[in-house]
Amino acid sequence: MRAVVVLAAGLALPGVLPALAAAGWSAMVVYLAPVIGTVMAAVAAEIELGLGGSLVPDYLAVAATVNIAVIAWWVTARRGARPRNAQAPRTRGAWAWSVLAVAVVAGCLAVPLSALRGALLTGDVSFWTTHALMIYGGHHELLTSLQNPAYVVSNPDYPPLVPAASALAFKFYGLGNLHLGVDMTVLVTACALGVVAMGIVAVSDVAAAGSGARWPARVVAVAAAGVIGVVGFAVSGVYAVGGYTDLVWAAFAVGAVIWGLVLPRSPRALAVAWICAAAASLTKNEGLTTALIIIAAIALRYRPFSLPGPMARRWAERAVLVLLPALPGLAWAGMMRLIGVHDAFFTTGSPETRLTRAGATVLGMARYLHVAPLALAVLLAGCWFLRADRQRAGLANPVWLWICCLGSLAVISGTYVFGDLEIHGWLLHSVNRTTIFAQVVLYTEIAVWMVIAAEGAFSRAPARADREPPPASEHLPEVLDGPRQPLPQ
Amino acid sequence: MSGRSERAGRRIGCAAIVAAAGVGLGLSVHHDVQFTGSVTTAKFIAGANAQERQAECVFEAIRLKVPEGATVYVNDPPGQPADHLVEWSTPWAVPEDDIADAQYRLTLVPPHGQRLLPFPLTRAAPDPAKGQCEGLTLEVRRL
Repeated sequence: MRAVVVLAAGLALPGVLPALAAAGWSAMVVYLAPVIGTVMAAVAAEIELGLGGSLVPDYLAVAATVNIAVIAWWVTARRGARPRNAQAPRTRGAWAWSVLAVAVVAGCLAVPLSALRGALLTGDVSFWTTHALMIYGGHHELLTSLQNPAYVVSNPDYPPLVPAASALAFKFYGLGNLHLGVDMTVLVTACALGVVAMGIVAVSDVAAAGSGARWPARVVAVAAAGVIGVVGFAVSGVYAVGGYTDLVWAAFAVGAVIWGLVLPRSPRALAVAWICAAAASLTKNEGLTTALIIIAAIALRYRPFSLPGPMARRWAERAVLVLLPALPGLAWAGMMRLIGVHDAFFTTGSPETRLTRAGATVLGMARYLHVAPLALAVLLAGCWFLRADRQRAGLANPVWLWICCLGSLAVISGTYVFGDLEIHGWLLHSVNRTTIFAQVVLYTEIAVWMVIAAEGAFSRAPARADREPPPASEHLPEVLDGPRQPLPQ
Repeated sequence: MSGRSERAGRRIGCAAIVAAAGVGLGLSVHHDVQFTGSVTTAKFIAGANAQERQAECVFEAIRLKVPEGATVYVNDPPGQPADHLVEWSTPWAVPEDDIADAQYRLTLVPPHGQRLLPFPLTRAAPDPAKGQCEGLTLEVRRL
């Protein structure tokens, strides 16, 4: 346990300044800093593969570069005037609630984390330990192992975020305790879920700012934040504590959705969403495809088609908004193609027809999406009763979240339908994991509506709040430098 | 509809959403508490620890019985792929797909009359130097 605490601190330390720059003086830094440290480790593994060297020097170089850049940005920002549309400082009350939320979320996560010692190292998951050992071995070991056909069953093309964090642990503590790799995976998962939970608290912040809600609504928000962490572990079962990375990418992707496609537009929300999306894209191939969908949706939300200005410039801005956060994940995928590493899903002919595969896929996925009808019912009731509250708070249209959920499921379904592995065995061994993102994001949607409803139930605002104009323009980030006007959220 | 009844209807709607969401989230939490209880029993943890100890024993045995950097071929029993042996060789030895390119052949042998998968566990004391890992034996043969 002591090793895990030391490693958590080691990952968090280089991420503190960037986390403060991204999230401001928020209690969420507790969860965001280790996430940023883990992304740095993944980028270091990319450098190890692409340019050479070994993990620790590359990690230190990445950490130093990012921290120097953040300090330079801070110095420059302090010299300049306060941005015209900077967010108002948080009230002391909101800060106190967020500190309480961090403690409650940590306490709730302690329940599923207590199952950690029951995790197995010897299941299908041991290839993640192998990837960590490849990164641990340095550039030559990593490159030759990835290209070695003997490892073809070990998914050599999978991205490096979790193995890089595990390899750092092995560098620090040696190879005497291989379980440290699993510990690091679960630690990163917990931090990702912490970022999601703090997003729910932030929803309460913006909803309360408009409604003047009382403390019972805040209690509901903090409870919902604590619960969402446990829900992530609940839908994943043994895969969350056994060293699998499916909940890791799913939690990061949900973090990107709530910060980028639910909360009001702001530079800070955008920064947190980008960090989460980059982390998801560096965790697993499904994470990359889902992150690309989310990143594209964020770009369209922050640069909507209704925005006036030259069309070419708007498209160029959208391209930048997509490429910046997608670059780390795309870089790994590109390097895999360059060195000739492919996954094993599209290599042999499929014995079944596409129709048979599609039917099996739909049935297989439906078994794990029991939450969908409840989420749909809550969505309809929420839109009926609380649409105005949601608009007044500057929260995004829920359609963004549903587009990401359905888009992710469509891409994963497409892989099953057009892939070549025997479909029933493939679904049996994976569909419970590939649907984790859809489940967690729908539970998050439910939690968001719950928080808005609690604010509505306890608010002092008039019932017909929709008579007030939505202050969407107040939340426009400074990256939006065009003529200011209310935009559809 | 009067303002008061509109407000009352809205509050009932909000309460219904909070209740429905609370039940959905609560059921999920209940499921997790049950799951956590099932994997934190002394029996489950003892089994998991034994499996982990066995894996680490094989990991160490490879490092004790095979020279560093040697090329190895992992011998799969029919229908029972020993992928883990390939994975545990990393980064000490270099697994080869073709036995003709390998210097050593590695085989995981289960106790007599038992299948290799799932890995059998016995109460025998682990001895990685001899390749004895609580039911599994690592055989290393120079080619």
